[in-house]
Amino acid sequence: MRKNVLAAGAVAMAGALALTACSSGGADEGTVVGDGEGVELTFMYRGSDYDKAAYETAITAFTEETGATVKMIITDADQYSTKLQAAIAGGNVPDVFYVDPANMMGYVYADVLADLTDLVPQETVDNLWSFGVDAYRFNVETGARGQEGDPFYALPKDVGPFAFGYNTVLFDEAGLDYPDPSEPMTFDEFVELCKALTLDTDGDGELDQWGTGLNVTWNSQAFIWGAGADWISDDKKTVTVDTPEFAEALQWFADLGLVEGVTPSVEQAQTLDTYQRWMAGEIGFFPVAPWDIATYNAVAEENPDEFGYAMIPYPVANEGDDWSTWLGSLGIGVSAQSENVELAAKLAEYLSTDLDAQKTLAAGQIQIPNLIDYAEGDWITTDATETGWPENSQIFLDIAMEKGRPLPATYTYTPEWYDNFWIGIENVVDNGSVTAEDFLADKQEEMQKLLDQSWTSAEAAKAQG
Amino acid sequence: METSAPTAETSVWSKEDRKASRKANAKLHRKEYGWAAAFMAAPVIGWVVFLLFPMAFSIYASFTNWNGIGNMTFIGLDNYTRLLQDQYFWKALYNTVFYMIGIPIGLALSLLLALALSRKIRGRTFFRTVYYIPVISSLAAIAILWQWAYNGDFGLVNQALALVGIEGPNWLADPVWAKPAIIIMTVWKGLGYSMLLYLAAVQAVPRSLYEAAALDGANGWKRFTKITWPMVRPVTFFLVVTNIIGGSMIFTEINIMTSTGGPSFSTASLVWYVWNQAFRNLSMGYATAMALVLGILVLIVTAIQFRMNAKNDFSID
Repeated sequence: MRKNVLAAGAVAMAGALALTACSSGGADEGTVVGDGEGVELTFMYRGSDYDKAAYETAITAFTEETGATVKMIITDADQYSTKLQAAIAGGNVPDVFYVDPANMMGYVYADVLADLTDLVPQETVDNLWSFGVDAYRFNVETGARGQEGDPFYALPKDVGPFAFGYNTVLFDEAGLDYPDPSEPMTFDEFVELCKALTLDTDGDGELDQWGTGLNVTWNSQAFIWGAGADWISDDKKTVTVDTPEFAEALQWFADLGLVEGVTPSVEQAQTLDTYQRWMAGEIGFFPVAPWDIATYNAVAEENPDEFGYAMIPYPVANEGDDWSTWLGSLGIGVSAQSENVELAAKLAEYLSTDLDAQKTLAAGQIQIPNLIDYAEGDWITTDATETGWPENSQIFLDIAMEKGRPLPATYTYTPEWYDNFWIGIENVVDNGSVTAEDFLADKQEEMQKLLDQSWTSAEAAKAQG
Repeated sequence: METSAPTAETSVWSKEDRKASRKANAKLHRKEYGWAAAFMAAPVIGWVVFLLFPMAFSIYASFTNWNGIGNMTFIGLDNYTRLLQDQYFWKALYNTVFYMIGIPIGLALSLLLALALSRKIRGRTFFRTVYYIPVISSLAAIAILWQWAYNGDFGLVNQALALVGIEGPNWLADPVWAKPAIIIMTVWKGLGYSMLLYLAAVQAVPRSLYEAAALDGANGWKRFTKITWPMVRPVTFFLVVTNIIGGSMIFTEINIMTSTGGPSFSTASLVWYVWNQAFRNLSMGYATAMALVLGILVLIVTAIQFRMNAKNDFSID
């Protein structure tokens, strides 16, 4: 009996030691860069085989320099945030991990994310897209996000510019001139082109080709911004959806289907979603993002008679207006509880900026390079074309540099206020039973309440740590 | 007949022997008791660690402002007052209760099927298998298939309706039809399980009862209402209780078929809303309060059911 108790105790102790080892490597405190022999860092992420290959390249370089090894923990995309939260609750946070800019504030307040400002060299930061770093800047005192000069808590895994594109084959068939790749169309010009592309091509009395087919939740932002409207004020404290320009832009977006008839119906879009229809050569205009390039290229190669694509700026309400679109990002953060914060920060730097890793990711058509000097130099002049990126990929760089904006909820503590906007939106865009103006008048109050609540929660999280 | 008590002299066991035997027995018992305690400890420890502690923890968490990551701050009943004013909580609760409409429908259908398949008909085993397949199929896969079936344009459901001249709605995109669509799917999914239990219950009804009823001139309906239905009542009770508990936790179907809570929040269930608040909106304390309210509601409903069942209990003499 005594032996059994001892054995059980030994097993429990071994388990506890194993768990401790998982969380922290095994080096003494105060390990500095270049002295990582015997240290094992953990890196948790989600992604594709290309990400893995690129990270292996970066990690090899990191290990060569520091001597530290890295254990990679890969999870399913849809389980990532739950798993990370469980790891945090269990006090077993990986040394380095992906972090979404939209929910990083809670992690900073809870002292889960380390401040990287003094751990990453300034020249490294200067060579990254400003949004790639600004997205992780956070002033804990004021609650402000994205402000240059504030501390940053992650480096970009990537930036995701969401460009607009058109099917070149459909333009050729209709005898239309291609849109200008450098100047945005106006809304009116866009509608005219959409009408010209909306056709019954087989003469059976039913439309089988449409000007566009845009999902309101993911594709309306650029149009709302292009009309000078926005969901939220600059200080992120006021919901601004009740302005006339917002209502006008949303109604215009809804009318693409309801009045102009240049989009597939709701039922048709359900039968085959517009993404599939776009690749089947049935849609004229559709968004193009870096992660789509590999698929679009394969489709264009397979069906050159139906599909070819090029990229353009998003349309704007009036001639001369500035265009913009949303720019996403995913970050690589460092655990504030790591026993090797400096080494972990170095690893994050490698994962974010190692040139060979960036070349692997760009060649795999996963993302545009994070490094400005490479992106604007060798990549855009030679590497991009050689690795199958479309000719006018410069537009991705333009978005990363100046035309991109974060989604409205990225810089607020919680996204509930923004999620609320989409509840009932089908009554405006799908069936037209409510006008945009009426919808927005009711929405503003409700969203404002949730935004206020978000700020209250942020204050509470700040106070309780 | 003479009997005499054994004396110390006549006993085959000496005092020392008995002492040694008691000692050996005590040692053996101690060992056995030790093992018994160890075996009993496993579930008890499991219960304490995985049920009692989380339950106590969540009760406390429901009174706190907690984002699931940082520290907790005690805020008294704030989460509960917030819940009372949260229209989406009430809507999600209403949707969850609405989904329960599927329970009597499912039970009626599965009892009918059980009655049909308890008869000696051709292909009985085949049909039993067919009806049971959805039960063992992946819920995620089923949800995706039904999503296609409910497509407003070319979905199987509307194609079938078109055959009889009915123009079906755009099921999952219509606030009116989205909930019934989910109910139909859940009824279909649960039919096989309920049918199997009913089948066992129906087959266990003593034949003599039917024979006696037939001799008394009872028709088929009377035999069903007076014999079959009361005899399968324990199964009905079990199914109602488990279906209400299971139905109150509906999540996967909602999250896959209508990932944003459906048109105008018409399909969002309470567990879906709880999950959304906990993991998307970092309101773990509030989410816990909602989960507790749901748990208490289910407990009350189940207690009422048990009480009603006890009242109507009967036994065959």
